[in-house]
Amino acid sequence: MTLELENVGRNINKQWIVENICLTVADNECLALVGPSGCGKSTTLRLIAGLDPVSAGSIHIRGRDITSLSPSERSVGMVFQSYALLPHLTVFENLELGLRVRGVPKPERRFKIKGILDLVQLWNRADNRPAELSGGQRQRVALARALLRDPEVYLLDEPMSNLDAQLREDIRPELRRLVLEQRKPTIYVTHDQHEAMAMAQRIAVLHEGRIEQIDTPYNLYHNPESLFVARFIGRPQINCLKGDSGSIRAVRPESIRFSDEGLSGKLQSREWLGNSQLLFLETQQGVIRMMTSPDQGIPAQIRLTWRAEDEILFDADTGLRSRR
Amino acid sequence: MPLLILLIPSLLFLVAVFALPLFRYTWLSFHADSVMTGLVAIPNQGANWQRFIHDTRYLQDLFQTLRFSVVSVTAEIVLGLVIALILHQPMRKRALIRSSALIPWALPTTVMALGWRWIFNTPYGPIDRLTQSWLGQSLNALGEPSIAWITTVYADIWKTTPFVALILLAGLQTIPSDLYEAAKLEGAGSWICLRRITIPLLLPYLGLALMFRLAQAFGVFDLVQVMTGGGPASSTESIALYAYWNALRFLDFGYSATIMIGSFVILSSLILITWLVVTTARNRSQQSLAR
Amino acid sequence: MKATRFLILALLVWSLAPLTWQLYTSFCIDQALVTPFASLNQRWTLDHYQSVLNSNPPFIRYLLNSLFVGGLSTFLTLLLAIPSSYSLSKMGRRSSLVIKFFLIGCALFPYVLLFLALLEIARYLQLGNSLIALAVPYAALSQPLAILLLTNAFSDLPAELEDAARVEGLSVVQRFRWILLPLISPAIASTAILVFLFSWNEYPIALTWISDSGKLTLPVAMARIAGSSIHSVPYGPYAAATVIGSIPLILLVMVFQKPIVSGLTTGAVKG
Repeated sequence: MTLELENVGRNINKQWIVENICLTVADNECLALVGPSGCGKSTTLRLIAGLDPVSAGSIHIRGRDITSLSPSERSVGMVFQSYALLPHLTVFENLELGLRVRGVPKPERRFKIKGILDLVQLWNRADNRPAELSGGQRQRVALARALLRDPEVYLLDEPMSNLDAQLREDIRPELRRLVLEQRKPTIYVTHDQHEAMAMAQRIAVLHEGRIEQIDTPYNLYHNPESLFVARFIGRPQINCLKGDSGSIRAVRPESIRFSDEGLSGKLQSREWLGNSQLLFLETQQGVIRMMTSPDQGIPAQIRLTWRAEDEILFDADTGLRSRR
Repeated sequence: MPLLILLIPSLLFLVAVFALPLFRYTWLSFHADSVMTGLVAIPNQGANWQRFIHDTRYLQDLFQTLRFSVVSVTAEIVLGLVIALILHQPMRKRALIRSSALIPWALPTTVMALGWRWIFNTPYGPIDRLTQSWLGQSLNALGEPSIAWITTVYADIWKTTPFVALILLAGLQTIPSDLYEAAKLEGAGSWICLRRITIPLLLPYLGLALMFRLAQAFGVFDLVQVMTGGGPASSTESIALYAYWNALRFLDFGYSATIMIGSFVILSSLILITWLVVTTARNRSQQSLAR
Repeated sequence: MKATRFLILALLVWSLAPLTWQLYTSFCIDQALVTPFASLNQRWTLDHYQSVLNSNPPFIRYLLNSLFVGGLSTFLTLLLAIPSSYSLSKMGRRSSLVIKFFLIGCALFPYVLLFLALLEIARYLQLGNSLIALAVPYAALSQPLAILLLTNAFSDLPAELEDAARVEGLSVVQRFRWILLPLISPAIASTAILVFLFSWNEYPIALTWISDSGKLTLPVAMARIAGSSIHSVPYGPYAAATVIGSIPLILLVMVFQKPIVSGLTTGAVKG
């Protein structure tokens, strides 16, 4: 494994911000870190980059222990949420700064920067300042800076959260082309689960500084290990119903069907989503979300059911998956 | 840890310039150190403090300094608010007007103190000529004890109002304009807007200007030293000037130090009281706004 | 609109009339000052300027002294305050708050009261009559304002800029050179100009430290001219000195109005 985190933790004032993080990321693999804000996903990234000191555990890149190395000795390429471009320097100068302090001679600097800017199709904007670029172009400059280092590991911290929704969708294939083709381990931090599923082969869900589950997008959705993951992954959110003997039954909205028998309910409201519709149905178990095809009619007597295999059981006390 | 190292030089300088003198004064205030002792410090069992408590000239100077501070700072705040409101209006050549308004603040106090001596000169200055021709008598603005202190107050107002106005202008610019629009929709006039919106929201800035100006005015020195020399009949003498005379004219360092440490204690308690009053007023106005 | 215009005019008259009167006085012959309404064949003169400029030492000397002390103390202040502000901006909330309160306390302190102790220090270290030494207390007295202003500027910078530079391998010195100093340069300009104004105008310390007439700063020189006699009326030369002494500052305020205003007001808005 190329990037390995073993029981990594960060402690500030006797409080663990992140704790017991164990991750391995292979070459050519993109791992997404997701979780609600404050869950420690950015902190984890900063620990890998060396921007914050590690309080416990160790980090290895290709077997080399980098736990106590400075950021510049770690060979990581990082893209920041705000892109972190210097406003008073041109695109070219922004890219040149790192090369210059690393002692790369001038002709070589120019050659490398030209190559990278051609790759991200921004050579014609080399003499512009960041303020003169669009959001998408700035993001590509930030990416170019990371690529320029030819690092062992790529770290992307919410690289698209400052772009509007349409642009994000357009940029995803571009980002995959540029980063994933480098065949280096990549960690992608985002709060947007759609983005995580689109970009990553595996996703780690963080909750209060700990990893709840690391798995493929498919498994996270269909086999969540905890109630937290089940609720966090998937929109509209999973339905949680009270089961017998202190258990919680969770059912995805698209698994709910109308039927002749089962839980009776009343239509509260509906949302049209174009290719589907979302129904909010009031039952004695609380409001149930149901996702169905847009031309589905509403029966006069509403009764809800679902297949037993679509139901996921959790322990109400621990929030963990309980197998039948 | 390396972060702290960067701070240490500055802090050392600050301690050397602010804290050491206070310790030195406290120590000196319990010693006789004057021409009488050959400028050598000799313990004198609190004689300086005995003298300080019964010093009627100090008492007079304290009264005069407080009178100067309160009157000039009050006037500066009122006038500063008016000027801030004027400068807040949209206007052409804003930069030029602001610069002109700032000039009095930027000039060295002693330069204008000299100018004022000529402007208020009796009988040749323009002000005295005006009163001579209008009132038929000389104003004697710098020679008459009951008037001279007002003349110094005027000079102080002229110099420091721009500073107050700028602070208040910064405050005005933080007030969102939709508050005024909402009030106008409710039918409030400009007076109500000023009383109910501008002044309450400006209170933190008024408090800041008040505290800084009171502290500075309490230490008034340059202006009176050059403009009146403390006269006539010590009627414009300030505490700082008295301490200065004691040190450099009467060469009594021990007593000068006593005056300064005593004044420091008085000023600190005044600032503390002002601060308490300002914060309670601010809290009350915030409560009334919340309601 | 008309009322506003009138008020602006009143404001300008209030601010500028005293100076204008000095300007007028400085060009009048003594006779015209004493009897302004008498008709004189000759009213205007440059004599006052000549006598001020040719006095011994020449008036220009004082301006140069003030310029030297102002420049040196500004440089010293920034040299001390920039690293301090950087570390203060990186500190935890609670410890930085304690230091900020201490700084505000120092800024509130009427520094006139310090002159005696500073004079003692100057005598003890034999620093009297040295313009270079005078810059040291000025730099120290300017620390509170400078640190508070610059700390605000450092805290306003996005932290990611420095993080990115660390990943790129820039050392602290390189980060200052390439990132921090260029980006806080507006705040540095504001601080520098305010410190310069303070040093240029400072009176009590210069009064007690400097006695050598060739080394006087402008404020002390002005006061000395005034102190030379209270009853005689060399008001023409006084006025000429006032005008010459004011011109550099008027230019300074005109040119640097923006950084002065922003320096004074960011302190107020954020403090």
